[in-house]
Amino acid sequence: MTEYVEARPVNFSELSAVVGRAPAVAENVTYERLLDARSEPHNWLTYYGAYNGQRYSPLDQINTENVRRLAPAWVFQFGAAGLHAGPSTYAFEAAPIVVDGVMYVSGWDGWVWAIDARNGQNLWVYKHAIPFDTSLCCGNVNRGVAVAKGKVFVVTLNAHLIALDAVTGKCVWDSTYGDVRAGESATLAPLVVKNLVIVGSSGGEFGVRGHLDAFDVDSGEHVWRCYTVPKPGEPGSETWPADGEAWARGGGNCWVTGTFDPETNLLYWGTGNPGPDFDGEVRQGDNLYTDSVIAVDVDSGRIRWHYQCTPHDLWDYDSTMECVLFEQDGRKLLAHFDKNGYCFVLDRTNGDLVRVFPFGERITWGEITPDGAVTPKVYPDKEGEPVHFWPGPAGAKEWTHAAYSPKTELFYVPVQDVGAEVTRRRRQFKESIPYWGASVTVDAEDMRGFLKAFDVSGNEAWRWASRWPLSASVLATAGDLTFVGEPSGEFNAFHARTGEPLWRFQTGSGHHSSPTTYSVDGRQYVAVPVGWGAWVEGFAPGMLGGQHGDALFAFALPEG
Amino acid sequence: MAITAGELSEIGLDHQNKAALGRLLATGRLAYAQEGPEGRMRAEVRIPPDELVWDPSILVMPHGGDLDLELVNDDTNTHCAHLPSNGDSKWMWLAVYSRGKATLNLDGPGYYWFSSNIGNDEGRGLIGAIVVLGDAPPEARLDRPDQPRP
Repeated sequence: MTEYVEARPVNFSELSAVVGRAPAVAENVTYERLLDARSEPHNWLTYYGAYNGQRYSPLDQINTENVRRLAPAWVFQFGAAGLHAGPSTYAFEAAPIVVDGVMYVSGWDGWVWAIDARNGQNLWVYKHAIPFDTSLCCGNVNRGVAVAKGKVFVVTLNAHLIALDAVTGKCVWDSTYGDVRAGESATLAPLVVKNLVIVGSSGGEFGVRGHLDAFDVDSGEHVWRCYTVPKPGEPGSETWPADGEAWARGGGNCWVTGTFDPETNLLYWGTGNPGPDFDGEVRQGDNLYTDSVIAVDVDSGRIRWHYQCTPHDLWDYDSTMECVLFEQDGRKLLAHFDKNGYCFVLDRTNGDLVRVFPFGERITWGEITPDGAVTPKVYPDKEGEPVHFWPGPAGAKEWTHAAYSPKTELFYVPVQDVGAEVTRRRRQFKESIPYWGASVTVDAEDMRGFLKAFDVSGNEAWRWASRWPLSASVLATAGDLTFVGEPSGEFNAFHARTGEPLWRFQTGSGHHSSPTTYSVDGRQYVAVPVGWGAWVEGFAPGMLGGQHGDALFAFALPEG
Repeated sequence: MAITAGELSEIGLDHQNKAALGRLLATGRLAYAQEGPEGRMRAEVRIPPDELVWDPSILVMPHGGDLDLELVNDDTNTHCAHLPSNGDSKWMWLAVYSRGKATLNLDGPGYYWFSSNIGNDEGRGLIGAIVVLGDAPPEARLDRPDQPRP
């Protein structure tokens, strides 16, 4: 008989330098504070910094005169232990949230960290166990957290929304809002509005039916669901085939965070591509509300108006990207830079088109006239016959975000200039199996990118050319600076008025995230996660072999 | 065409230092966790001598929830267990002739890897799978007719 010694389990994070607690700074993050988030320039309280989606900070300690002295203040790295889903496609995509000196940030594969924003000390860690076999079109990623009322909210790849205690990192509630057997997942940063946490689903490449969901902040109780593809008989259903079940596989997923205007009480959310991505013959019609900007009443979850950017999409041109809220001549507008290469400026009170202008470089798939008329020109039509078009399915801009400076009144847009060859290949729908309807090969050699600045009327103010597609979000600051990273690992600062390159730093891995800025004890920091991965074969296949790191850099001016 | 256990065994992929250097992952036994009266589950996994494999190497939970997992090291080398669980991974040092219990919470459906994350125990064969059966809860599923599956 074997005499066994006792083995004792521990939490894996206990075998690290993690502190285990964070200061209770998130207790009083209320809706009122979130409404006025930019009145707290030292904080970055929401995914975009504020409900308006501008990704602009009033901080100006780091400015055009001194940015050349910017240097790393600290670096946070994590790595992996054991096997995880998407081991080759994980990426560090988040926008770090900062509340009074504490940073909350999510990583790949269910990781959430609280970090001392002054020095990079890991305060607590949460790890959600993610099934290795979760359906992921584009990688093991998460774009960030939301913070309110003492909780940190994050979605998991297996489609849960969880609330964590902001002090301890322990789970407070856990609600499932997607069906992983159907191919659904979740990747976006939640948005807290009033007493609701609002999230969208991922899985548009698996023929699901997209939806937004709202949960009660305190209890996790489900409050409403808004489907982005109507059922037969509902408004918009006439844009789908009357017979069959194309609508049931219609996509339209909301996999990027929306914006909110408290005066209209509307959420402005972009929807994803229809399913199947490239085979339009099985879904005749405009396919509402795919590839659209939808305005959703935050209290009821009902769609008040919509604007479709790519009717009957045949190019995988999601419209999930940000809707930046701004005013011009007293008019309440939003700007949406779409994958299809055009920027749509809409009246956000009613969805009327104010103007549309091209921001992409090479646009051959079709044309959109100034009055919004769409004319497709090149698209996969005949089975087995390849076609080539720009921009490719990753778009002239991927999900990564533009910024808008109310100081310069310019938009700053990360542009990808990459084409693709697509051959229609019809397939039968089977739940959880990718449902593209095509063979896709994105150009690996002929690629480049730009950071472009546009005024609110659509006139290009300046541009900066990169050898690589720009696949990272832009940050604008009151220091008259714009920041953006490159797939090669360079993190760059530009003069916001002229586009003059002022500073760069090699971070060691490509950028596919959203930098933010904050200050603690009077010192301004610029934080940027790096960790090259996700759908690289879609937006920059020529960089698929790039350095695959995972780190969060915080830059600051030297002290003293 | 699926590979049979016999074919794996024939060339020695389910043994140490025979066909390859180590043992192909998850080529050990499959077993089911036992379910208690309130849905809580329990199971035992051993490391037999000189095999560098978890036994069973595939553990099946009938649904998501809490699993009391007893780990036993019958090997004459030291290993450890790195186990998936919501909140934080669980970890246990497994000295020679040791045993201990960890409680895991897993959602499912889907499968998760667990391993001995020291040296290259993982490459040699000490990676196992925990498979969770079941479906997403009804309230989370899509409002659409049942769809064909592969």
